[in-house]
Amino acid sequence: MSLRGARLGWLIFLVLLHATVIFPGFFAPYDPSEQDRKNPYLPPMRIHFLDAQGHFHARPFVYPLQLRQGSFDQSEGNTAKPVSLKFFVRGTRYQLLGIIPFRLHLFGTEDERVYLLGSDSFGRDQLSRFFYGGQVSLFAGLLGAGITLLLGLCVGAIAGYYGGWTDALLMRFSELFLALPWLYLLFALRAFLPLSVGPLQAFFLIVAVIGAVGWARPARLVRGVVLSAKERDFVRAARGFGATDAYLLCRHILPETSSVLLTQATILVPQFVLAEMTLSFLGLGVPEPVPSWGNLLASLQQYSVLVTYWWMYLPALLIVPFFVGYLGLGSELQERREPYKIERTSLGNFA
Amino acid sequence: MRYLLRRLGHAAFLLVGVSVVSFLFTALAPGNYFDEMRLNPQIGPETIAALRAQYQLDRPLPARYANWVGSLVRGNMGFSFAYNSPVAPLLLIRARNTLLLTVAAMLLAWGIALPLGVWSAEGFGRLPDKIVSLGTAGLLVIPDLALALGLLVLAVRSGRLPTGGMVSLSFESLSLFGKVRDLLVHLALPVAALVLSALPLLIRHVRAAVAEVLDAPFLQAAEGHGIPRRTLLYRYALPAAANPLISLFGFSIGTLLSGSLLIEVVMSWPGLGPFLLEAILARDLYVVIGGILFSTIFLVAGNFLADLLLYWADPRIRTESNSR
Amino acid sequence: MQPLIRVESLVKTYEKQGLAGRRDEVRAVDGVSFSVFPRTTLAIVGESGSGKSTLALCLACLENPTAGSIWFEGVDIVKLSEKGQRAMRRKIQLIFQDPATSLNPRWSVAEILAEPLLLPGNLSRDEATWRAHSRLDQVGLSSEIAEKAPAELSGGQRQRLAIARALTLEPKLLILDEALSALDCSFQAQIANLLQDLQSALGMTYVFISHDLAMAAHLGDDIAVMNCGRIIEQGRPAEILKNPKNDITRNMVSAVPRMEFPRQQAPEP
Repeated sequence: MSLRGARLGWLIFLVLLHATVIFPGFFAPYDPSEQDRKNPYLPPMRIHFLDAQGHFHARPFVYPLQLRQGSFDQSEGNTAKPVSLKFFVRGTRYQLLGIIPFRLHLFGTEDERVYLLGSDSFGRDQLSRFFYGGQVSLFAGLLGAGITLLLGLCVGAIAGYYGGWTDALLMRFSELFLALPWLYLLFALRAFLPLSVGPLQAFFLIVAVIGAVGWARPARLVRGVVLSAKERDFVRAARGFGATDAYLLCRHILPETSSVLLTQATILVPQFVLAEMTLSFLGLGVPEPVPSWGNLLASLQQYSVLVTYWWMYLPALLIVPFFVGYLGLGSELQERREPYKIERTSLGNFA
Repeated sequence: MRYLLRRLGHAAFLLVGVSVVSFLFTALAPGNYFDEMRLNPQIGPETIAALRAQYQLDRPLPARYANWVGSLVRGNMGFSFAYNSPVAPLLLIRARNTLLLTVAAMLLAWGIALPLGVWSAEGFGRLPDKIVSLGTAGLLVIPDLALALGLLVLAVRSGRLPTGGMVSLSFESLSLFGKVRDLLVHLALPVAALVLSALPLLIRHVRAAVAEVLDAPFLQAAEGHGIPRRTLLYRYALPAAANPLISLFGFSIGTLLSGSLLIEVVMSWPGLGPFLLEAILARDLYVVIGGILFSTIFLVAGNFLADLLLYWADPRIRTESNSR
Repeated sequence: MQPLIRVESLVKTYEKQGLAGRRDEVRAVDGVSFSVFPRTTLAIVGESGSGKSTLALCLACLENPTAGSIWFEGVDIVKLSEKGQRAMRRKIQLIFQDPATSLNPRWSVAEILAEPLLLPGNLSRDEATWRAHSRLDQVGLSSEIAEKAPAELSGGQRQRLAIARALTLEPKLLILDEALSALDCSFQAQIANLLQDLQSALGMTYVFISHDLAMAAHLGDDIAVMNCGRIIEQGRPAEILKNPKNDITRNMVSAVPRMEFPRQQAPEP
């Protein structure tokens, strides 16, 4: 798999985006669980360069928000106290990569808190929660996709290589998984596991569940590749040197599946991130106070929030670039190959 | 004919398989359901004992399964603890609502995807194709949850469309025309969300299927005979693309059903989705199983319908399976 | 003298799964018997579908025959266990028709060459590579190509590489399944000459399978004509060409192009 041109571009784009969630402590100004009960549901603060008197400031600044007189949901900026944004500040402590204690943040302010995406009902900074939440959601997506692909690879390889009864049995079993609408299956699996568990357990539980749901399609694709690969002459030649089945699979056949697996990965990761988001949004996923992209949007389930504090929706838009990255990479990887065809023969099998 | 029998057998196998798996879940789920129920103060110990007896938890698994299937077939889907009533009638209403939503979305989605896909395939690589590709890409990158919520936010801000429920409070008092209009107005948002989330993949696959057929030599030969463009498309190309398109249809039922689950919850449409969610949170076991089974039945039935359509539409399948 | 390999009544049938579950039996090899003596070449000729390739796979222990025996070094390889067959495979090497597919396109020349030696696992990578490199000379390739991918080589070079790879195992018997058919004419001649050189230098024994009667007659000490899984005629090349006893053989002989110059001079340019 060559890393050239457009593919490299998308990969770099994705890596940069992921950097924000691998080092959320640096990019986020605050700890995601830091509450400020005096400032719930603040709208995003606007960044200004011109102050109320019309003077230009090289350093951007924001106005701290306060409730307008006589209103309970309208805020306005206090133009008397501009708060400058400083870059590379020392702020709240956090653990870089979970181990190294660090205090450097990309940006921050001195006295007042800055809410670039607004605050939630507890006054927590939405932007910070977005970065930390991304860690959870993206990691769940990546890990889930890894599990699914691993399962799919094993099942597909065994079914394709050994054929016969093993193949028929495994494919029938995979059809069961394809017969259920995946979100229903996800819910069902989740339902039968304990509901209230600690955040870490919940996370791994969800990842396991998500991973166990989607293996059927990758398995079929891998099986197809293995079926055609094992008839290739160079595989026969290696057999002619006295190679065992395991050797043939590992060194000759499975490398052929790499492009299928990679393309599937770019499709599965966003799908699984969405799955985690859905579960957490509905309260079946990662529980509070751990942030996840689903949790962030959960407050929108209340009508009052929807009407008055609609900016709570904004984090959803920030998720889009990540999906753009995965989609872009995926379509680049798929460029050379035929689009995935869905066709049935008279045997009722998918071609 | 053999083909149809085979597909019917396949559908039956799937249903049986799913029912077995569901049943095994109930029997083997970690954390015995009845133990958890015992912790729930609303359910008295007598109820639990009665239920245990009723579901014969002491008998071997295959016997319990047979018993369970037997009562299923008789229309008894178990008992809901949360609602204190049999599951089947509750689910049936919800299922009907979900079906309404899904079918409406299916019709609309295909109604848009087919012409757009064909138009895109016709101008493959040129401007119309590029516009459509850009549009689908734009839709694809928005996660379904964000899409549904976004539409909801827009609806709320504009104040035009109702943002929940299937009918207004004053439904009963409306005329027939009023009722239909009311329903449609409430359907608008969920259907829009569902269609928009399913549209990109649908258009892409239609485009791929049609483009492949358009490349076929037989079509170029027909063009060489001077057959007009329109006829070519609709009477030659489209029927040839029937196989992948109908298979896509079957496949799209699954994605739409999954999508409807989320959208029903977000938009408060009273279908299977919110009901299932409630049941999960309330640990209402038989409702959950019932919901799963219903959704599977829809999916399997839909796919069988697609198989029927395929048999009718694709002569290759008829001849291949009939010749020996 | 004892034959190196003796085939007795070899049968290989395949079952085709009919659409309605009915099984069709295809007899790819239908009672074939022959012997090959050391340092000689047996050429097997036949049209496509005559069962030649299946025969080749059976000889190389890559397919299990349905019936019959193959005696090699005093052992009936048909009756061997999988483990025994794995060991035997290294002694009978098969050169495939298309070197583009018989060499893993993702590997480099060096890796491809070293693979047979590395398989048993008792040689170090360097040792294996060094030994493999020494084979390159034998087939007329320079060691400059070691880091290239097969796609960067010409058809003739690839087939030489395939032969070199087979030779690293020092096999007793080399089966060439249409090994020249995918090559351009000029390469065909080169490889044919290489094969003959190797035979006299290393004392190789060949089974040369082809549909090209002319090439078979050129390379073979003995020709066997196959049709529908059976050997219908066998003999020395000169005899077969002059007196074909079978209709099918006759057709094949008449198809061999002969360059005959007309009695009259060609007109002046």
